[in-house]
Amino acid sequence: MSTRAYAVTRAGRRAAVPASLVVLFLLPLILMPLAAVFLFAFRGGPLAFWNGLKTPEAQFALRFSLLVAFATAAVNTVLGTFTAYVLSRYRFRGQRILGIVVNLPVAIPTVVVGTSLLLLWGPIGLLGRALPSGLQPMFAPAGVLLAHLFVTFPYMLGAVKPVMDEMEETYEEAAYTIGATTWQTFRYVILPTLKGGLFAGALLTFAHSLGEFGATVMVSGNLRLKTQTAPLYIFAQFEAGNIEAANAVAAVLALLSFFIFFVLLRYTGREGD
Amino acid sequence: MSVTLENVTKHYGGGQVVVDRVSLDVQTGELFVLLGASGSGKSTILRMLAGLTAPDEGVIRFADRDVTLVPPQKRDVGLVFQNYSIFRHMTVGENIEFGLRIRGVPAVEREQRREELLELVGLGGLAARYDSQLSGGQRQRVALARALAYKPAVLLLDEPFGALDVKIRTQLRQNLKEIHKTLGVTTVLVTHDQEEAFELGQRIAVMERGRLLEVNTPEKLYAQPRSLFVATFLGGGTILVGRCQDHKVALGGLSLPIPAEVPHDEGDRVRVLIRPEQVRLTAERPRPGAPVLGQGEVVEQNFSGATRRTRVRLPPLAGVRQVVPPLPFGEENPILDAVVPAHDPPTPPAPWVTLEAWHILRQPTPRLLVCDEGEGIAPALELAKPLVDALDAIATVLGVSPDARRQDALREALTERAAAAGLAQPAIRVRRGDLAEQIALEEREAPYDFVIVGAGDSDPRPALRHTNLYEELLPRIKTPLLLVRGRPRRFERILICTAVGEPGKADIRAGGWLARRLNATVTLLHVTISGRTMPALVHAHLTRGVATLRELEVKGRPSLREAATPLEGILAELRSEPYDLVVTGAPPPLARTPIRSVSITQAIVRRAGCSILVVPAGTW
Repeated sequence: MSTRAYAVTRAGRRAAVPASLVVLFLLPLILMPLAAVFLFAFRGGPLAFWNGLKTPEAQFALRFSLLVAFATAAVNTVLGTFTAYVLSRYRFRGQRILGIVVNLPVAIPTVVVGTSLLLLWGPIGLLGRALPSGLQPMFAPAGVLLAHLFVTFPYMLGAVKPVMDEMEETYEEAAYTIGATTWQTFRYVILPTLKGGLFAGALLTFAHSLGEFGATVMVSGNLRLKTQTAPLYIFAQFEAGNIEAANAVAAVLALLSFFIFFVLLRYTGREGD
Repeated sequence: MSVTLENVTKHYGGGQVVVDRVSLDVQTGELFVLLGASGSGKSTILRMLAGLTAPDEGVIRFADRDVTLVPPQKRDVGLVFQNYSIFRHMTVGENIEFGLRIRGVPAVEREQRREELLELVGLGGLAARYDSQLSGGQRQRVALARALAYKPAVLLLDEPFGALDVKIRTQLRQNLKEIHKTLGVTTVLVTHDQEEAFELGQRIAVMERGRLLEVNTPEKLYAQPRSLFVATFLGGGTILVGRCQDHKVALGGLSLPIPAEVPHDEGDRVRVLIRPEQVRLTAERPRPGAPVLGQGEVVEQNFSGATRRTRVRLPPLAGVRQVVPPLPFGEENPILDAVVPAHDPPTPPAPWVTLEAWHILRQPTPRLLVCDEGEGIAPALELAKPLVDALDAIATVLGVSPDARRQDALREALTERAAAAGLAQPAIRVRRGDLAEQIALEEREAPYDFVIVGAGDSDPRPALRHTNLYEELLPRIKTPLLLVRGRPRRFERILICTAVGEPGKADIRAGGWLARRLNATVTLLHVTISGRTMPALVHAHLTRGVATLRELEVKGRPSLREAATPLEGILAELRSEPYDLVVTGAPPPLARTPIRSVSITQAIVRRAGCSILVVPAGTW
């Protein structure tokens, strides 16, 4: 109560100077680039924008990106939740190290992730060479999925584990004494409690997968109509000088991201109340 | 449904005992309270009853059904946690219905039961609320209703009022009492709050450090506690120690008869518990024949609403010592706690102190830990029998097995050997691991008065010699350690060495106590170092030592010896007379240096030919 009153008086009296300062340096850094995406996308008029989106390559890239993002979010929701559960509920040797390792993917440059995946799963890689040619994951959709799973793994964990840590063990024990089996306890007690974390984690994973570039460009081979995701398409078109085509897809990606972001914002805001 | 625990034991991961051989019976429909401080093991017992923790040893029964290893889902218990653990994503109604939903009860029936329960706990109309919209007291009621919904056979409550403020607590206690009366469900409640235990419990079990001390009705526990701990844990009061004379305990001029059920010997120290409300303070001298302690002096008065708490310094009472509450430093007379109704006329500054009632506590039974190896000669066991008889003690026989496979065989061997040594049904304990380490652990977990170990160097077979056992035990153990050497005989002549280290009183007390029970004579030895004598100091020290012995009613004679080192003096004394037992202090743990230097205690143990009692400082 008191802090809010303090903030109000601050805003009323002296906020003008620092606030305009922030807007001033954010203008070239964030605000203008955000606006530019849409400005350039529609510069040639709506028809040019529509033509840019209509090509089979653009269509494929967008659809492929969405599909991979869904798959990544789905797989990591399951794996991340399970990992969070194990890390939060059990005590074992090497637990601390495991907790650090599963969070490492956020710290590693994505291009490095791409190279190491290639070295591991590539046609002459450590594991890849053992696979028959039909099942090679690199330069195929499976490779893109592998890369995205790796890169986005910490997001699910980061969203679910704090909720899990906060949930007292007596919560589950209460369900057991009431008569619920382990599964019923998970289904009716743990899962509903995790709902918020799961939702936020899945959206974050989805958003990051949608925009992933560094690892994808390495493992996908950037194959048109086969492994080219939307970000790769934008890059390829830009390099070829098709600015309109690149901008059209970029605008769609940006819109999608905004949408996810606002859903997250609303959702977490409501949870906070 | 009745609940039975038989010898239930639970260890933590590190081997520390949390619940130590607890047996109890809860009657069908009873409201039973487990009372103890934090860490006493009461909550662990509750978790074992719920099936959330499995006991290491022992059996838990619900009526005739053995539920020791039955999972919580199949126990049919309702548990209210200290933090309530209301499911936050469910409404109050859904929380209460959860157990019924799991059991597949149709919605109509669930709803009906839900309304019944909400009415019962006084939460009618709140079914649609969520956890975050409830007050602490309401949460507790929801947790209770949820635990009762499926009509469990046993209701378990873990500190259910711990998180609430005093006013709500009183009200909820009343509610719980009424609910219990209405439903008649067997209930076990855990609390650390004495007042709560008194108000709710039909019977109370008092726990301390994993052990069950006493079980009784609140009234009996308060008025006639058996142990010092229960007497002081439940309610206030003063405990005085007097001597037993002709089946009476003498408190100054007053003699209080000792009831027949309290075993006592002439000359024993007897503890008398006087509750504050049993003390009468009057201006006039009471009529002759009344139990008067004398004319005291008011030290302190505190007004506390309905009563006045008054502390009265008594006149000196010969041979009486105050144990509880501890006297302030320099105070010589007992100070009695009294409570007077506030509307009584003011207490005169020098009131006459009369007792309206009192309670005589039972003598604590000495406990011996007898360590045996299950093979070879059994010096510790052979000594245990005469000691148990002379001290009226309880013996526990401990064996340590290096591996799990031989534990059962060892237990059998110990039982057999204990019987052969004449011990009637001693408790047998078998532990696994390193010998010295496990003995030290056992000693730390349960209160023993003496640990008895064979010195280990007299076995004819070299494989069974553990010459270094006592060296490993000495620095670890905090209980007097009796090292038995040779064929144990009666201890008739005891040598107490006061030359060692700090002239502690513990060794004299422990040695003197043993001597009185064993009817032995004591020589109190002090070795003066040649050329460094301080006659006045030594004389004073020995005089005090002999006085302590006299107080214990033991015949003691002082002996002064001059030698180059204390050890030589002691060995010379041992050569001069046939002693059966040497008593010495233990070096304080801090005196151990990183280099393995031989302490004087170790040197005595190594070189004396007879049994040795090592008494750590501050134990007696």
